[in-house]
Amino acid sequence: MILFKRLASLQARLLALLLTLILCVWVSAAVLSWIDTRHELDELLDAHLAQSAALLVAQQTDTDEADRDHRPHRRHTFDDDDHPDAPTLHKYATRVAFQVFHDGKLTLHSGTAPQTPMSQRLRGFATVQLPEGGSWRVFGAQGNKGDVQVFVGEQVRSRQSILWAMMQSVLMPLLAALPVLALLGWLAVRQSLTPLRTLSQALSRRQPQSVEPLVIADTPSEMAPVVASLNSLLARIGQMMATERRFTADAAHELRTPIAAIRAQAQVALGAGEDAAQRNQALRHTLAGCDRATHLVAQLLTLSRLETAGNTRPGLRVDVCQITQRIAADLAPAALARTQVLTLEASTPALIAADEALTAVLIRNLIDNALRYSPEGAQVNVDVHHTQTHVTLQVNDSGPGLPAADLARLGERFFRGLGTTQTGSGLGWSIVRRIADVYRAQVQAGPSALGGLCVTVTWPIAPDQGPPQI
Amino acid sequence: MRILLAEDDPLLGDGLRTGLRQQGFLVDWVRDGLAAEREIACGNHQAAVLDLGLPLKDGMEVLQSLRHQKITLPILVLTARDAVPDRIKGLDGGADDYVVKPVDLFELGARLRSLVRRAHGHTQDCLSCGALQVNLAARSVTLSGQAVGLSMREFDLLHVLMLNAERVMSREQLEQQLYSWGYEVESNAVEVHIHHLRKKLQADLIQTVRGVGYTLMPPKDPPTEPAP
Repeated sequence: MILFKRLASLQARLLALLLTLILCVWVSAAVLSWIDTRHELDELLDAHLAQSAALLVAQQTDTDEADRDHRPHRRHTFDDDDHPDAPTLHKYATRVAFQVFHDGKLTLHSGTAPQTPMSQRLRGFATVQLPEGGSWRVFGAQGNKGDVQVFVGEQVRSRQSILWAMMQSVLMPLLAALPVLALLGWLAVRQSLTPLRTLSQALSRRQPQSVEPLVIADTPSEMAPVVASLNSLLARIGQMMATERRFTADAAHELRTPIAAIRAQAQVALGAGEDAAQRNQALRHTLAGCDRATHLVAQLLTLSRLETAGNTRPGLRVDVCQITQRIAADLAPAALARTQVLTLEASTPALIAADEALTAVLIRNLIDNALRYSPEGAQVNVDVHHTQTHVTLQVNDSGPGLPAADLARLGERFFRGLGTTQTGSGLGWSIVRRIADVYRAQVQAGPSALGGLCVTVTWPIAPDQGPPQI
Repeated sequence: MRILLAEDDPLLGDGLRTGLRQQGFLVDWVRDGLAAEREIACGNHQAAVLDLGLPLKDGMEVLQSLRHQKITLPILVLTARDAVPDRIKGLDGGADDYVVKPVDLFELGARLRSLVRRAHGHTQDCLSCGALQVNLAARSVTLSGQAVGLSMREFDLLHVLMLNAERVMSREQLEQQLYSWGYEVESNAVEVHIHHLRKKLQADLIQTVRGVGYTLMPPKDPPTEPAP
């Protein structure tokens, strides 16, 4: 089986397996029939030997009785010498031999027979080695009074040649049938594998971007699951490609505006001539445009990774308090520069089952949004607390807030509220919602007591086991 | 040439406004669709640059609503939507030109001049009236082959008068075409500029129609070029 697995083609594997099986069956049949035929042949020829021996014994007994009846001439007919030879009547007669002993004295024997008794066994069968003709099958028989001893022998080689001749007539047709069987087997295997070939041809003809389902006529039941799985895979790839395409289109679209702004500002700086103030202003705007494009690209990449990787990293126990503290510390200098007041209310560890990096992205987006869209001198309050079942993060700001219609559109990709002088990517909310979905968190936005926007994220609390990740 | 710019992106809007001003355009900037529609409908501008992805009212809706009101102001759509179906939709929806971001500021200026020129039935970027030649792109003026140095306002005033040659323009109309938002208009500014123009060019080129306004009349003596 391992050998067959080395073969690359299924057709070759099947054919090799089939031919090996046929060969095994053929060889076993040949061996069995050889054993059986030899056995039958031995029985038959042994019976002949025994019969011949019996005949000779009977004849010698007759001769003895005739002697007693005074018919000595009968005996003398063979008595030209002491050891009369029987005439050789047939070419096969050289392969048979007989000896007749009267009272231990060789009285009659065939030309092929030696002078000494062929076998030590006086009665029954024996296989002996004789100087002439190699191996012999010898049958010994005695007359009733024990004075006549007869040996009848036959060369084993002659039996083998008979057996071989018989086997040839049986095996030759089988041997001839083997290539025919192989050819037929090849055709059958090839025919049976046609649907597989059709499938592979259909697949190789396809355009790489084609995701239409495969339709194969006369799909055998064994292949139906393969085709179904392929089609379901194609459908999923199609969906992913559509997401990717939409994303690329959106990204290209969204990047045009910041790039147009950078270009326009750079051109203004070039055209400012002697007006140094205008040139410096335009250059500052160019830099701001670059920063915005960078931010947008970073956000796009985050969202792209979230969407295409189907990011489902298993949640470890992470502390929302600690992450929030770190991010607040990161963002505080920028907030201070705009005379904004950022306060954090987070003391007790609040553990959730989530990925630390993604949770940080979510919290950073929320606090960054609050700071970004609030005017100078605004107040931004961040509060983390937990109950028996949930961990809640709340971000309040005293910024302009959002009208109800805009609140409903939050999370739409690239949606930006109106009248903001800040240049966000419009992706923050998409990212927040996507990460929240991954870790079964709820995100709500509404008017804040501070006058601006209040965003609340609620995670299920982490199961109370294992050490925290941070 | 007074242009309305409708763009919600602060950085891009600022860049376009400053860049077009450097080329001698007067630019008024609005940031949402409703304001854009209102300002275009007022008719104080000679052309508009309209972004499609505007808040409050989408640029395409603004365009359709304006064309529905039979407002024929040349409108250049400047947008990030670059797909061919979007371009077709924009042009069929009433845009006179469709430009995809990012755009070269000089190209944008040239396209705007071209739109305004064609809207007034001219074919070249050079307006002429008798011996007077005005090159819009170079913002240069020649009288009988002699270059004449004009201030920015004087040039703009001459440009408006030439575009509307042989038509009487009221002082208010001229003021609206000359001053974008945020400029204090002195009560006699137009008179002062007309006075300077008459001094620098031929005295009889700009006629005063008492109680109504001013008009640019080509000189009666040959060679006369028929005003379009």
